[in-house]
Amino acid sequence: MIQLPVDRVELDNGLTVILSHDPSLPVAAVNLWYAVGSRNEPEGKTGYAHLFEHMMFQGSANVPKGRHFELLERAGGSVNATTWFDRTNYFETVPSHHLELALWLEADRMGGFLQALTLETLENQRSVVKNERKQRYDNQPYGDWDERLQALLFPPGHPYRHSVIGSMEDLDRATLDDVRSFFLTWYTPENAVLSVAGDLDRDRTMGWIRDYFGTIPARGQPPEPRVPVLASVLGETIRQEVEAEVPLPRIYMGMRIPPLQDAGFPAIRILATVLGSGRSSRLYSKLVRESGVARDVMAFPYPLVGGCSTFLIQATGVSGTAVGLLEELLVDELAGVREVREEEVQRAVALADTGLVSGLQEVGTRADLLSMYQTLLGDAGEVNREMARLRAVTPGQVRDAADALLGEDNRAILTYRPASRVS
Amino acid sequence: MTEKRPRSVPPEPGPVGPLRMPDVDTRHLPQGLTFHLVKMPRLPVAAVSLVLDAGEAGMPGPEAGWGLLAGTALQGGTGQRSGDALARALEGAGSGVGVATGWDAVHLELTVLPERLPLVLPLLMEMVREPAFPQDEVKRARERRLATIRQRAMDPGALADDWAAAEIHHSDSPYARPLGGTAESIAKVEAADLVGLVERRYRPMGGTLVVAGDVEGDEVLAMLEPLLRGWEGGPLSVQAPSLSLPRSREARVVLVDRPGSVQSELRLGHVGVPRASPYHASLRVVNALLGGTFSSRLNLNLREKNGFTYGVRSRFSFRRGAGPFWVGTAVDREVTAAAVGEVLDEVRGLRDQGPTELEVASSRDYLAGVFPLQLQTVEDVAGRIGSLAVHGLPPSAMVEERDAIRGVSVEAAGEAARLHLKPEEMVVVVVGDAAVVRAPLEALGVGPVEVR
Repeated sequence: MIQLPVDRVELDNGLTVILSHDPSLPVAAVNLWYAVGSRNEPEGKTGYAHLFEHMMFQGSANVPKGRHFELLERAGGSVNATTWFDRTNYFETVPSHHLELALWLEADRMGGFLQALTLETLENQRSVVKNERKQRYDNQPYGDWDERLQALLFPPGHPYRHSVIGSMEDLDRATLDDVRSFFLTWYTPENAVLSVAGDLDRDRTMGWIRDYFGTIPARGQPPEPRVPVLASVLGETIRQEVEAEVPLPRIYMGMRIPPLQDAGFPAIRILATVLGSGRSSRLYSKLVRESGVARDVMAFPYPLVGGCSTFLIQATGVSGTAVGLLEELLVDELAGVREVREEEVQRAVALADTGLVSGLQEVGTRADLLSMYQTLLGDAGEVNREMARLRAVTPGQVRDAADALLGEDNRAILTYRPASRVS
Repeated sequence: MTEKRPRSVPPEPGPVGPLRMPDVDTRHLPQGLTFHLVKMPRLPVAAVSLVLDAGEAGMPGPEAGWGLLAGTALQGGTGQRSGDALARALEGAGSGVGVATGWDAVHLELTVLPERLPLVLPLLMEMVREPAFPQDEVKRARERRLATIRQRAMDPGALADDWAAAEIHHSDSPYARPLGGTAESIAKVEAADLVGLVERRYRPMGGTLVVAGDVEGDEVLAMLEPLLRGWEGGPLSVQAPSLSLPRSREARVVLVDRPGSVQSELRLGHVGVPRASPYHASLRVVNALLGGTFSSRLNLNLREKNGFTYGVRSRFSFRRGAGPFWVGTAVDREVTAAAVGEVLDEVRGLRDQGPTELEVASSRDYLAGVFPLQLQTVEDVAGRIGSLAVHGLPPSAMVEERDAIRGVSVEAAGEAARLHLKPEEMVVVVVGDAAVVRAPLEALGVGPVEVR
């Protein structure tokens, strides 16, 4: 099994640094996870974590607007950032002789973000983000599915109830003070993990990191995120039926499941693969191949850490399929998966094996996984134990997970039916 | 002695690390298939890419999309096992065959741990050489394709792509149609058609097989020998004479009405150049600075200055024939006409005034610099070698392309822009709410506005 080197250092200001050396290609990845996401947004300020992510590219003390991308693109680097429920990540992969530049840029915004903040850039990015919302949600068939499903799975006031993109009304209300206080509260060295993977010289790299990041003052631990106590399952089947301008019938089924750190999570991953990943999965075999009623089907867990995660199944019917039939066949398979066989578990493990090794070829993936395990589970070294955990999963554990999580007492069902047209 | 750099100044790059290109061992097999073995022992993983001269551009109009459908339906089983059994065998080995049919070729690709290569190579060849196309599997593949076609018609981005292709290219050119065919062409396809198609077109002559990863060439060749025995012949690749023709040479606006749209999907384009064009490298540089990077003119204007959009991209699609050049974005419906105007101004400005020295240098540095990033994985390398082979280029072209990019001067980029950006011939496709955007588009005066 592959073992990535994991070299962890904590700076005096509380920043956690992970280095993972691999000289075989002249590339290096820098990856920063800040432990703040949409779950940290109070009511009335939805979408602010993501809007803030956009603002982080608008300049900092020594970097004018636009220069961040300009410098990294000129260096032959790839750059991006994403916001999710539990975290926001910023990352770049560069030819390794430009590693210092990537570190300098990330440090400049961690230390000097406020010095470049203007109303003009806020207005510009507010407009960009609102267009992102329109493009991904409002102008897209089924575009509102995750907002609807989250609202079925989580009670009012719960941090996972609202979408990462947030509402137009809240985005419209964001002020410079909101952006400032978001930065001061969450973008502290104590709340971040910096991972560097690839072709690096340890001493030189640590020298740059101490020089650029180590000089950023500690600002204190951010507030502990609120983790409301929820029942481990929904307790019922909740249903919402939507008739909309969509091309084909579709069903989404969401379940509440334990958080990523739960010892049962590896069995849930295997369960998801057995059910709905690949052409030999039970759902594909039944809904797409055998009965031919579905165009596609998939099942996967969304790993979260705030007290619970979600499990999602999605199936799109071919034209003319009744959405009720999709549901009926799907529910049959949820019951049938109790009979999971050893060979199905082995197949799921084999797919995971290949996926993991293939993914680890890219230094960017390595750095992201290291940041992820450090941020979410408190130990970057967990990346080296994940495969063993998956390999240890037994059919009995998969059956137990199915029994506990896939029953009628734990289903949020959202269906879309194409609007009947008058013509 | 070195002066300490002020903290406010970005650091200079260090010494460039050596880029060792993996060794490629090339064999010309008796079937007419070219075999490349790329030794990449960094991690225990291997990628296989089989590229055959069976692209959609070779399909006659009434059979549009059949090539792509045949590729998909290969998953339906072989003479030796059902589709279900095939999936179980592949996934039991932790793998799966991806079949991607493009305009020029079909690419069959898989990733696997090296010790399982002997399990999956025979399955791959079984799919290619003995597909069974059982009636029920073909019927389902057809239904799924029709469902996808239906879905594209309601997805504003996909709808804009399809309209742009139809409006940019001559109606006799295969490029004018959707890659996956139309509801009419797909509805007619039967199992026997797919059997005949694969029999005719999935042939080794002129094809390329790449295996990259932690593997030994002799062992792979020994595995392949019995699998390739008796496979022969080559497809007759006929290029439609109208492949590279434009539909028209006048600027015009095609407005596809989608009532209630809160955004407009825009595609502005014209026929570009084939991959074999001597302007390939210079146009990649031109495109990078026009709309191929975050720091490009279009993105800085439409997104970072005006906030019209979440993003904008431009692209030359380099195919065997002249594929499209287009700019694509989705904008707030209220600024639809303004955004069209800005795009046309940027294209015209670049064509007339040319790029600056700094822009060309930045684009060159970007395109050459990302080279090692884009070849990190066995899949990257196998895929890249396969794609080059489609155009008759050897693996060494990977490095030669980078060097050609490095050699593009500001004059060469300016010439490429002057010759190959044609704002006066651009078709503007808008998928949006006609009630809101029609009048402003007419007022813009680009050309006639046709509502569809």
